[in-house]
Amino acid sequence: MLSKARPSRLPSPLLSLYGLLVVGLPLAGLAYALLGSVGLAGPLAAGFTGRYWQALGTDTGLLYAALFSGWVAVASVGISIALALLLVLRAQPTLRRWPLPGLLYVPLLLPALVVGFYLFQLLSRTGWLARLCFQLGLIQGPEGFPELVQDAAGLGIIGAQVLLTFPFFTLLFRAIYQESRLEEYRQLTLTLGASPGQFRRRVAGPLLLRRAAPTLLLSFMATLGAYDIPLLLGRPYPQMLSVYLATRLQRFDLRELPAAYLAGFLVALGLLGLVAVLLRLRRQTAVR
Amino acid sequence: MRSYLLIVLLLLLFVLPFGLLGLLAVGEQWRFPAALPPAYSLEAWRSLLAADNDLLLGLGRSLLPAGTVAALATAGGFGLARAITRSRHPARWEAASYLPYALPPVLLAVLIQPFIIRLHLSGSVGGVLVGLLLVALPFATLLLRSFWSGHITEYEQLARTLGCTPRQAWRRVLLPLAWPLLRTTLVQTFLLSWFDFGLTNVLSVGKVRTLTVQVFTYVGEANAQLAAVAALLLVVPPAVLLLLNKSTLLRKP
Repeated sequence: MLSKARPSRLPSPLLSLYGLLVVGLPLAGLAYALLGSVGLAGPLAAGFTGRYWQALGTDTGLLYAALFSGWVAVASVGISIALALLLVLRAQPTLRRWPLPGLLYVPLLLPALVVGFYLFQLLSRTGWLARLCFQLGLIQGPEGFPELVQDAAGLGIIGAQVLLTFPFFTLLFRAIYQESRLEEYRQLTLTLGASPGQFRRRVAGPLLLRRAAPTLLLSFMATLGAYDIPLLLGRPYPQMLSVYLATRLQRFDLRELPAAYLAGFLVALGLLGLVAVLLRLRRQTAVR
Repeated sequence: MRSYLLIVLLLLLFVLPFGLLGLLAVGEQWRFPAALPPAYSLEAWRSLLAADNDLLLGLGRSLLPAGTVAALATAGGFGLARAITRSRHPARWEAASYLPYALPPVLLAVLIQPFIIRLHLSGSVGGVLVGLLLVALPFATLLLRSFWSGHITEYEQLARTLGCTPRQAWRRVLLPLAWPLLRTTLVQTFLLSWFDFGLTNVLSVGKVRTLTVQVFTYVGEANAQLAAVAALLLVVPPAVLLLLNKSTLLRKP
């Protein structure tokens, strides 16, 4: 019989290389961004300075980008969850009917950039919906059509994110529903005198949300850092975080770099905080 | 009645993108307020057959990195997942694997860009590959971690006890057992690279013109017809993968 391999004190060369790539490189990038934000790294580094950190109080760009991203992420993920729950809990038999089982996979084929382009062609003031409204005599010209893309509230971005996310959540909730044998629980709760609404609100809904929590948080983070869709469907102001960072770092004025490094450092730190929450959630759901 | 309405609504929601993109790809001189194109032409599609066609080259430039990243990340992730399971601190390695996977690709690209420039990889396929691997490798490792359970180690030890060499145990026992998960990982890491725009655009400084970069360029040039053709080309490989196996698209680490 072979003896059980005992873990060695030092990581294997493979793991060391892996650590260097996946931890070393991003952390080195973070350190570079931090040093850049205090004037110690970067093309125009001229010695330690705290002025970029002090300027944070007056520069509202990063704060607005964070708030706008937060709003878009909360709205998109919230609407997607609501739609998916509605479909799984109220239209379960319909979801099993042709062609829905295959149809729900279709949005997973679409890159975010393509969805952004499609919605621009559909919802802009000269888009297909506006043309249909014009032909039907509902509007007199492009300006009569409501602003649905590149709007201040980010409606176009939210619509695109929902279109991409809610089918995935529906498939996920449906898989959890079957895996957790919720149909049997439904029969049981109805036998015990609960109404279908009580089953949905008190049993199925909380269970689905709790079990899907890590994936939902992951989707929230992905929406928070979305780039392709806001780049096409967003306005120059307010911008979402990724677009804001990329725009600031790609400006020709190198003096802007330290402030951009600072923004990148702070955003990365915030997202890493969310990862910590995600890992805790994952451990909790694993225990249950 | 209500269920028919729901089916029609969802059908419209998910099929309309292909209909509109298809019309844009064949429509000519299609401007406001026309609801349908005044003329149709397959010229953009026919030009794809020309050897020096930019879109066709873009397809190749997208397939090459996506295929390479998928193969490297899956093979590497399989070995790494095993090494992590056998390490002294598997939970710490698992947590570390979330680091690049958790940051938005554009932010990650922005953070590692100074080092990519110092390595003289900026604007090259090599730089894009490093960036994509940085996301795909931990993703594959996390996805394949579930395979290396105590159960699998016992299978491996049993095979060795019954006379298998380490190589035979891998080839005849471990790889066939892992194949469904490996296939899922291959598909998902391929799609991760195939769909990427932000990371590639930042690290390649717009020089590696993959299909996603081309879609964005054509949109910027207000060339809706070529943007639609590129967009439809982007959908082909995922559609083929979906037809082959639906479940490979859904699994998350």
